[in-house]
Amino acid sequence: MSSNKPIGYPPLHQRLYSVWYRHLRVYTENLFSNAFPPFFEPLIFLAGVGLGLGRYIDPIDGRPYVQFLAIGLLITSSMWTAFFECTFGTFIRMEFQKVYDGMLAAPITANNLIVGEMLWAASKGLFFSFAVLCMLTLVSLIWPTAMPMLPMPNALFAPLLGFFNALMFAAMALLITSFVKTINHFNFFMTGIISPMFFFSGVVFPVSNLPETIRPVAEILPLTHSVRIMRCICDGHYDSFLLWDMLYIVVFTLIVGILAIKRLKKRLIL
Amino acid sequence: MQPPVIQVRNISKTFGTLRAVDDLSFEVPQKSCFGFLGPNGAGKTTMMKMLYARVLRDDHPASGINVFGYDPTHQELSIKYLSGVVPQEDNLDEELNVIQNLLLFARFYNMPARQACNRVEELLAFLQLTDKRTARIRELSGGMKRRLVIARALLNQPRLLILDEPTTGLDPQVRHIIWDKLRQLKKQGTTLLLSTHYMEEASALCDTILILHHGQKVLLGSPAQLLDERIERFVLELTERRPQTAAPIEPIPNGVRIDSTGPTLRWYADDTEPLKTITEKLAGESYSLRPSNLEDVFLRTTGRTLNEFQ
Repeated sequence: MSSNKPIGYPPLHQRLYSVWYRHLRVYTENLFSNAFPPFFEPLIFLAGVGLGLGRYIDPIDGRPYVQFLAIGLLITSSMWTAFFECTFGTFIRMEFQKVYDGMLAAPITANNLIVGEMLWAASKGLFFSFAVLCMLTLVSLIWPTAMPMLPMPNALFAPLLGFFNALMFAAMALLITSFVKTINHFNFFMTGIISPMFFFSGVVFPVSNLPETIRPVAEILPLTHSVRIMRCICDGHYDSFLLWDMLYIVVFTLIVGILAIKRLKKRLIL
Repeated sequence: MQPPVIQVRNISKTFGTLRAVDDLSFEVPQKSCFGFLGPNGAGKTTMMKMLYARVLRDDHPASGINVFGYDPTHQELSIKYLSGVVPQEDNLDEELNVIQNLLLFARFYNMPARQACNRVEELLAFLQLTDKRTARIRELSGGMKRRLVIARALLNQPRLLILDEPTTGLDPQVRHIIWDKLRQLKKQGTTLLLSTHYMEEASALCDTILILHHGQKVLLGSPAQLLDERIERFVLELTERRPQTAAPIEPIPNGVRIDSTGPTLRWYADDTEPLKTITEKLAGESYSLRPSNLEDVFLRTTGRTLNEFQ
């Protein structure tokens, strides 16, 4: 056997890339079934809620309801995928498939593995936002009366925001995963955190419609900030308030992400 | 004299109130095969995982681990880069086929694509899996999966191969193939560290055996040494004893040790003569007189009763 191997383990970016690539490789192996949901779920939602229910709702902030909802869905799709990936996905890889046992025998650290996991979830968020954007545009082209075209080119910003939104939710999901002992416990967080977030973060109706007393609660929810940024970009209306939203996302991602890494590492390295 | 590949000094590991590894010290010389032997829960896996930082040792100033001159607490990447690990449970990517599994893992070593392809083909041939190169993981038998995990551990041409129960649950044919491959690797200069509870495996492969019990070192030596020093050379076993034969076995001849802790009676002696005098009294019983083996050493040192992990 030859022995012309390079000296030394791979550098940090290579190690993160190999974790990311592992997930990409496994995900794309079943690309058709895996890519089906992001392309078709928003259509079902828009058809059911936007078109059906939307006919009874007045335009919001000058937009037809179906478009108001569509802008929100650009962001929520990245939240759902990142949250699922880093709760159920991570838990299954860790506890059932024992994938991490194999990976941690390779020259990567537990930190590399967890950060790679977040970057992968963020990339999936980018892809999901992009998929929703594609479908919405396609529907607008085919049937402009039912689904008015999203403001272009502003809406093209969605995948990038989807990336950072997904990164934030990946951090949160991993922190939750670090606490969860059996897979059924995730249901609690799904119903307790993600579902309410979907309804009270300005996706389905504006936060300003919430009662005065509840509005501060919406400000605490991470999704509120991503959705507000997306709406502002679509409106081409850049307020200094956006800085607060961006600051929130950065600080939340950093603090929760670091906590998640610390706690999850303790679970991987005994 | 080359320095040892692994040096372990006064290592302990505590999980809550359980002391999984208790003040263990040993050295593994280069190009040798070192085996951990012990019942389930003896601390074999924990000890192995501490070598590549999958488990962190208890912090103590007197303790230390050195693998290729690196300390796993601070330099795990160097150790992992030079070592291959075969974990106790197969953990292949079920979604991918045989060759994809290996190529994907080669990425972790930053191996150039062409080199990775060559290496993968080389390993498939070595482990007799070439016919299965495009098979899905779920189509593989237990023995094939195990060989694939070994192939994966060998991707980066490791100088140290760590195997946690490499042949547990496999049929004799596969076991012997794996043993042959491991011997070949050793001949090529790979240091092997394995855990097993098959005495046969330990005596077939290992130059040195460490018998662990409750996380503690019980015995350390070569298989021949352990047989020589730790057990009489012959054993007479009486598996089914009829009530009336219980008495006539007295008195026990000189130089014979009797073990009657279990339902099976065993007499040990360095010579067959005194044991033969016992067999004369056992006419009609089902007994066997055989040379003692490592299993006898093992059971003598770790006891015949089950602990809470077994």
